[in-house]
Amino acid sequence: MPADPNANAGYMIAAYIVTAVILGGYALALWRKAKGAGRR
Amino acid sequence: MGEFFRVALAVAAKDLRVEHRSKTALVSAIAFAALVLVIFNFARDAAAVSREALAPSVLWITFSFSGVIALNRSFALERENAALDGLLLAPVSRSALFLGKYLANLAFVFTVEAVALPLFVLFFGVDLTGSLGGIVLTAVLATTGFVAVGTVFAAMTVRTRFAELMLPLLVLPFLLPPVIGAVQVTARLLAGRPLSEIAGWLRILGFYDLVFVTLCLLLFPPLMDE
Amino acid sequence: MTETPAGRRATRRGLGIVALGLLGLAGVYVLALRYTPMERFQGLPQKIFYVHVPAAWSAMLAFSLVGIASALYLWLRDPRLDLFAESAAEVGLIFSMVMLTTGPLWGRPVWNTWWTWDARLTFTLILFFLFLGYRALRGALQDPGERARFSAVVGILGLVLVPFVHLTVYLFRTLHPQPIVLKPSSPSLPGEMLRTLLVSVGVYTVLLLGFVMTRYGLGAQARLEGGEDAR
Repeated sequence: MPADPNANAGYMIAAYIVTAVILGGYALALWRKAKGAGRR
Repeated sequence: MGEFFRVALAVAAKDLRVEHRSKTALVSAIAFAALVLVIFNFARDAAAVSREALAPSVLWITFSFSGVIALNRSFALERENAALDGLLLAPVSRSALFLGKYLANLAFVFTVEAVALPLFVLFFGVDLTGSLGGIVLTAVLATTGFVAVGTVFAAMTVRTRFAELMLPLLVLPFLLPPVIGAVQVTARLLAGRPLSEIAGWLRILGFYDLVFVTLCLLLFPPLMDE
Repeated sequence: MTETPAGRRATRRGLGIVALGLLGLAGVYVLALRYTPMERFQGLPQKIFYVHVPAAWSAMLAFSLVGIASALYLWLRDPRLDLFAESAAEVGLIFSMVMLTTGPLWGRPVWNTWWTWDARLTFTLILFFLFLGYRALRGALQDPGERARFSAVVGILGLVLVPFVHLTVYLFRTLHPQPIVLKPSSPSLPGEMLRTLLVSVGVYTVLLLGFVMTRYGLGAQARLEGGEDAR
């Protein structure tokens, strides 16, 4: 049965956000560490 | 070559002698196995799940949990007396040391399993006629592999503070292939399936053992030496 | 150990590649959400596929790097290899986390279950535990030589384990087929979906490289300074 196009969009959005948060967050953490280390 | 095995057997004998005197670890491992079996019996809904359906999984959970407990004790004694360093100072092959430890662990885990199996038959009322040989063979094949890896990890984690936690964490992924295979074989054996259906799984178990025992023997020297 | 300038250079270059990768990720988002057809039966949640599957690929790639670097370390005893393995393991953990969070978010709406024991999810879960164990062991060992040697053995054993897990889980699944298969609707992927997937895999690989390089550079600097970060 073909899916209703707008159903469950929330899950998709959540997954895309989670991915961005994890990957972006890690990048941010690395960048901040680099800034901190460079200061020494 | 003879020297190699002599050292290995000496190390194994020493371990087993020490354990034989106190028996604490053996008794606790067996008590643990019994406890797991009892809990499983009460934790299931008798109307919903039959004992037969659950039996292979229960057996193998019991075996693997007790196995990990048994492994924990493997280097515990050395740690308490800093005896591992003493062992390492001796001018003997590291691989021989590993083999000795491994054989002792194997003997230990086999003993626990040999006691747990009759308990399992008793508590779960399974009929093992015809399948006993197959189950014993499976137990030997499945145990051989993960005890090798467990021995290596026990040697490593003895140096850490949370060894009792670290060892299960490290060893768990390595339990998966042997346990999957063993449960599949056990389920089929208990259902009376012919050996031909099981041969494939047994081959995988055997191959796993070959690969990991060899690898552990080879990796122990570089592990221990600077 | 690596001189500070080389460590800093790696960090800088790594961050540049990460920035590129994040830009690429944004591009993948647009591509997947706007320019890829919606799958008929699963609807919108199927698009999670484009961020979920490449994460599994990256985690596996990272783990292979850990295994290879570990083997080389035991042979050559070069501490840089140990640092590389440490970096790849951390990055692999991150990608595993992406995979393990997006998986349930896909499974729930489409197959009505938060977790399925399909080959890929199970496999990545095992990788996750291996990464975790590797990291925990390193954290618990103080002596750098011991730390390097011990985790190298874990890395090697882990990598050898992977095909066995794959085989046994696959065999188990074929014997116990579950109605759930984490695949898009048809056995072969329609062209546009394949394209988006491949682009995403490429972007994730770039991110992997950038992350590992940056983490390596940071680690090299920390070791030289002998600070608390020296792990």
